[in-house]
Amino acid sequence: MIGIGLFFLVVAAVGMVRLPDVFTRSHAVSLTDSLGAFFVLMGLATYHGFSTNTFRILVVLALLILVNPVISHATVRAALRSGQKPVAEDRR
Amino acid sequence: MNAIYTKRLAYWTAVLFVLWLMLSESFNALHMAVGFSAALLVALLRTDLRAERTYVIRWWRALLYIPWLFSRILVSGVHVSYLILHPRLPIKPVLFRHRADLGSDEAVLLMGNSITLTPGTVTVEADDEELIVHALDEDSTGDVLSQRLEKMVARVFPAGGGRR
Repeated sequence: MIGIGLFFLVVAAVGMVRLPDVFTRSHAVSLTDSLGAFFVLMGLATYHGFSTNTFRILVVLALLILVNPVISHATVRAALRSGQKPVAEDRR
Repeated sequence: MNAIYTKRLAYWTAVLFVLWLMLSESFNALHMAVGFSAALLVALLRTDLRAERTYVIRWWRALLYIPWLFSRILVSGVHVSYLILHPRLPIKPVLFRHRADLGSDEAVLLMGNSITLTPGTVTVEADDEELIVHALDEDSTGDVLSQRLEKMVARVFPAGGGRR
């Protein structure tokens, strides 16, 4: 499981370099936390069997899942409002 | 200081104190006293005097929502990984507006967070009536445009949740 998580983390890092602008890069970032961190943390949680540390890791994971979209959203919204031009086709 | 306020304050203090105990695992008097004070302080700060709950959650729908969202995250995560690792980088980003009548702020929060959490789509703007979403390519827009996500959110927060 940690291996799967690391795979997604590496892909996200590659995406950070390859993708053209803030908006597309934010997709690579969301890959990091939703899948990369999820698999790594779940792997760690079950690595030594069930203990109180498992519970702690689950708390970290829950906070990560709640907070990360908020940060991505804030970044992207700020980028758009401050006049960053997305590469995207505009269909608003 | 009405009864509801006191009850809610006690409830949150208890929840936070139990969380503290589970995380700290030290049960001597000093640690427990510090933990209790912290729990009480946070509960005092967060408990709203005039707060009335304006939304309804169907808990079993919420429990179904989590594995469903995770399966969608997995599918689109693999898709985004494919796009990133593809030698020609076949992305076709698109910024689109999506109308969604969700009813309550909490439903908007859940919907916006779910969109952002799913690789390939990011919520750029969100309010009561519409969301502006940035997607990495045409395939990533599926769940939002087909209103599938919206329906799942509406099941967790049924209509009549009340708008503030």
